[in-house]
Amino acid sequence: MSELAIRRGAAPALAVRGLSYAYPQAAAPALEDTSFEVAPGEFVLLAGRSASGKSTLLKAACGLVPHFHGGEIEGGVRVADLDAIAAGPGELAAAVGYLAQDPETQVVSTTVAAEIELPLEMRGDAPADRARAVEEVALALAIPHLLDRTVDTLSGGELQRVALAAALVTRPRLILLDEPTSQLDPVAGDELIWLLRRLNEEWGVAVLLAEHRLERCLAAADRVIAMEAGHLSFDGPPPDFLAWARDHDPALETPAARLFSFAGIDPLPTGVRAARRTLDNCRGEGGTPSERLVLLGQQNLGRPPTPHPSKLSEEGVPPSLPPALRAKNLWVELDRGEDPRDVLKGVELTIHRGERVALMGRNGAGKSTLLRAAAGLHEPAAGKLSVESIALLTQNPGDYLVRERIGDELPGDGGMAALRIVGLEDKVDADPRDLSGGERQRLALAIALAGRMEGQELPGVVALDEPTRGMDHARKSELVGLIGDLAERGAAVVVATHDVEFASEFADRVVLLGDGVAIADGPMAEVLSGGWYFATEVARVLDLPGVVTPEQGAAVLREEGP
Amino acid sequence: MKSPFAYQPRPRPLQLASPGAAVAYLGAIVAVAFLYSNPLVLVAAGVAATLAGVLSGARGAVRVALKMGLALALLIVVVNALVVDRGETVVARLGEWPLFGRVDVTFEGIVAGASGGLRAAVAMVAAAVYSACVDPDRVLRVLRPLAGRSALTASLVSRLVPVAAADAARLRDAALLRGPAAAAVGKAPLARRLLAGSLDRAVDVAATLELRGYSLDAPPARNRHRPSRYDRRFYAAAAVLLAAALVGKALGADDFNTYPSVAIGLGATTLTFSALVALSGLAPLRRRPKRGRPPSVNGPKIPLYVGKSSRRPSSSEVARV
Repeated sequence: MSELAIRRGAAPALAVRGLSYAYPQAAAPALEDTSFEVAPGEFVLLAGRSASGKSTLLKAACGLVPHFHGGEIEGGVRVADLDAIAAGPGELAAAVGYLAQDPETQVVSTTVAAEIELPLEMRGDAPADRARAVEEVALALAIPHLLDRTVDTLSGGELQRVALAAALVTRPRLILLDEPTSQLDPVAGDELIWLLRRLNEEWGVAVLLAEHRLERCLAAADRVIAMEAGHLSFDGPPPDFLAWARDHDPALETPAARLFSFAGIDPLPTGVRAARRTLDNCRGEGGTPSERLVLLGQQNLGRPPTPHPSKLSEEGVPPSLPPALRAKNLWVELDRGEDPRDVLKGVELTIHRGERVALMGRNGAGKSTLLRAAAGLHEPAAGKLSVESIALLTQNPGDYLVRERIGDELPGDGGMAALRIVGLEDKVDADPRDLSGGERQRLALAIALAGRMEGQELPGVVALDEPTRGMDHARKSELVGLIGDLAERGAAVVVATHDVEFASEFADRVVLLGDGVAIADGPMAEVLSGGWYFATEVARVLDLPGVVTPEQGAAVLREEGP
Repeated sequence: MKSPFAYQPRPRPLQLASPGAAVAYLGAIVAVAFLYSNPLVLVAAGVAATLAGVLSGARGAVRVALKMGLALALLIVVVNALVVDRGETVVARLGEWPLFGRVDVTFEGIVAGASGGLRAAVAMVAAAVYSACVDPDRVLRVLRPLAGRSALTASLVSRLVPVAAADAARLRDAALLRGPAAAAVGKAPLARRLLAGSLDRAVDVAATLELRGYSLDAPPARNRHRPSRYDRRFYAAAAVLLAAALVGKALGADDFNTYPSVAIGLGATTLTFSALVALSGLAPLRRRPKRGRPPSVNGPKIPLYVGKSSRRPSSSEVARV
């Protein structure tokens, strides 16, 4: 088929026929008899729990499976009329772009301009064509100002955009994205999704996007494909997917859809806008008293979010609980090889034992730095920081696991006590590599806790830095349970996270950092219902102070008042 | 933390010049250091390399390279003094040493070692300036048509080194954060873990290269010419330096003997050539464009900037409990 015919949309951007695949030495196949098509210019969302086969499917579509990973493959994959199984990833590079979760390993050059230009150079394009293509893709992704920067000076969001630019510079017909927002803050995540939508609409690029946080991208999608244990379990438009998820796998429901499900309102909304439109329609039809209540909330639309400066530590916590962490005018300076800069700029914070605190803010706002300073990894430049005792789990639990037997990581009574806290006392002889992702995280936490407990008493602060990256809803629910358990045992649990919905599930208090300063600090429901970006989907739908979870929202809708 | 030797783009002449011009200029300074033994000329070459780095904004790289270079120079002096017993002026008789035999430290041996050490230090400073100021991507692009796979390997290594350094820093932090009852992590398990992680990283980067079309057998792409108004200046500086070095050598500017006794030539030729070498360090000097003077206005002077910043407490107020 000619290039012109492909461009006019005669061939599907991706056609998968009866695809089955097993990784080398795997006990079970990762994909089984999977068939579907993606039309040119279509935006398809790939949903499913962890290990359901989403990433493998994307790798098959770009040729990494089987060319790079090996294994056994059956069936067919065609990308813009090229046989992806016969052709390698290099040949497919002109037709398909691929963006994985971790942008760190997706750049191979020193400067941004060289990185974007590399695929064209490999293809042997003329210098003038390369110069123009680099300029155009940089403009499309709003990164011309980054072209002369070195890649190691970029933030996570910037690096993700650069990797996307390198994937798009060959003007592929299809772009595949594997959880591209998992390491981004809500602002950068939303920006990336809408950027994809714009490229999809203006350039006609077909998009196949695998994501766990469906609320972020469902509204942008034309179609949803759900996977379960290597099989396709659903394929249809987003509203139908929500109805299917309600009946078959509620873990895949978005918060707004859960809100409507609980309140008994149909159709289920694909996003904030659709939800508000449905509620508006209810009002147009006369509406029930509960709908009139929603109307009251919607009168707040268009007003800027109200700041919530209240301090839970001063008002909401019983005085009997001692402070576990206290920061007074805390300044921390970091030197990353360029000019040293203040990352924390006079933070005032008191956290008591038993509190569950979500530490939120943009990438670079100072969340990790605050936790690392509390754990003694950074010295304060000024101010005062007192911590009773702290166990900190950093962003990569695998960094804590260096031995091949759990009992060797945690020997003796102290080790066993820590294993009991996280519920892994039966796995002393197991190899950490054989544990599931959630179990590995709990083991790493046990390693951080070991010896910091007095009997069964936990340290004053248990801190987790971005623990939900790449987690599906089921694993997040497990983590919520563990956090609740730790707090009930008396530890102050402080979690730095970008995941607003997760914060609404575990936290009783939210501290929002902005450029090294605590800009909001208060009860969870108050802070997460008072903004646009750092607000849950339910809060953005209803815009009612203090209403952040689907359960709360549904109660308001049903019972005519909070 | 970023290495001081890592390339940092800056709007300075040496960074804006083509790799060929930058390499010719820095290479000429190093060539002088290897052509000459006269300490005065070597010091001048060191001054030139240092000036070039400082004027190009690579102060950090120059500082670290100077420290390392002088430490290496000291080591060379000590080793040379212990190993070479030539020279008329014995400054210390250290008796019989195992392996070394009879050790007499001579003034001439020390001076000869200092000359060699200075040469090594100049080479290190020039290499540091090159590393911090010359874009490795552009260099590799120049090399790619000549040795494609080697250039790519070098490119990969240059990418993986900072990634491995970041991984090592993370693993060290995790080791520090282990509870007191967890098994301590020695250097060997940590190194093993880092190696395993690096292999995973290398596989990911290799996958990225596959996706960028590395395995395609496309004809080598021609280099994109990026014009630079500084190229001529650096090529000229390199040519003048090398020509002067050859002429100076012929006229005796490298008048320097160490054995049997030290004789350092400080004649007009040596002094002139040394001055020329030192002045070549000014080649990366940025010429600021002339600005027109604004018309004079009679009136009160207005401050250009009025800002207020939140107060940061002094270091005496720092406390950690």
